[in-house]
Amino acid sequence: MSAISSLVPARFLTIIAHLVIVITIFWSRENNVKASLPLEFTQEQYDSEDQKLVVALAVTLGLFAIELSGFFSGVSMFNCSQGLLSTGAHASASVALLFFLFEQWELDIYWAILAICSVLPAVVEIILFVGVFGLKKKPL
Amino acid sequence: MELPETIRKRLEGFSRNVLFDQTRMWGFSKENDAVLSHDKRVLSSLPLQMSLYFNMWFFPLWWISETVMLHFKYPFLSDYYKFILVTVLLLMTLFEGIRLYLGYMGNLQEKVPELAGFWLLSILLQFPLILFQLFNEAILIQPLERGVHIVLAIFILTQAVAGFLALRDMVSHTASQFHLRQFD
Repeated sequence: MSAISSLVPARFLTIIAHLVIVITIFWSRENNVKASLPLEFTQEQYDSEDQKLVVALAVTLGLFAIELSGFFSGVSMFNCSQGLLSTGAHASASVALLFFLFEQWELDIYWAILAICSVLPAVVEIILFVGVFGLKKKPL
Repeated sequence: MELPETIRKRLEGFSRNVLFDQTRMWGFSKENDAVLSHDKRVLSSLPLQMSLYFNMWFFPLWWISETVMLHFKYPFLSDYYKFILVTVLLLMTLFEGIRLYLGYMGNLQEKVPELAGFWLLSILLQFPLILFQLFNEAILIQPLERGVHIVLAIFILTQAVAGFLALRDMVSHTASQFHLRQFD
């Protein structure tokens, strides 16, 4: 199937692009934290907002681990629907996070991006895991 | 395009003598005395092939990120690091291309010299270069560079481990085939 042969690398590349942007945001999160705080802020406020962003990024990395483990173990690599959903979600996440980084958006928007573009593919991945290992269905 | 004959001989000798213990392997294959016919097991390693395939797709992304970042930080580097980083980028590009080609040839066509060449290139040349890029703070590592170098380092590590296992299986199989052929 030629569709499969281009969907698998496309899905991989969008996941990696999303991952690279998340790592980039992790190392340059100062401006985004400052954007979430009022003009005058104390060090404790900065630290607590910083902590929230670190937690959000760590949750994103955890969801990546779930999805990548499903992808590389073969559970969802050749499943067209999950592939399409994942490619779309991660591509939108990459663009949204690009704006998040360059336009220095606030932290609240990150939670929305996380919910739509990271949680959704990971939840479908877990459903597929349960389907393959629990209910013994074929991985396709 | 094949490797030159002298290089193939040297790499094959290296795999058989330096990497793997001949006496231990011969004892290992003697246990399969029942199988006197030639073993038709597929020796190509799936994890290694997956790693190579995705590495091949990731390489342009890595190259563009690295070149653009180098372009942006070039005025801020000291003179010797300017020369070093341009050289390192050229070398890594060259090694990556040769490495991926040899890995594909060696794994898919089950050729020991090519696979050994790929494994040596990865461990001895590409791995130190990527560690240099990741841990030397004096070259002004940018966040985007950290991201792509971490991914490439993970690829090289998985290829080192999977390549070693594939090489060991291939060498022990070809050695046992050579010994079994005496009984034909």
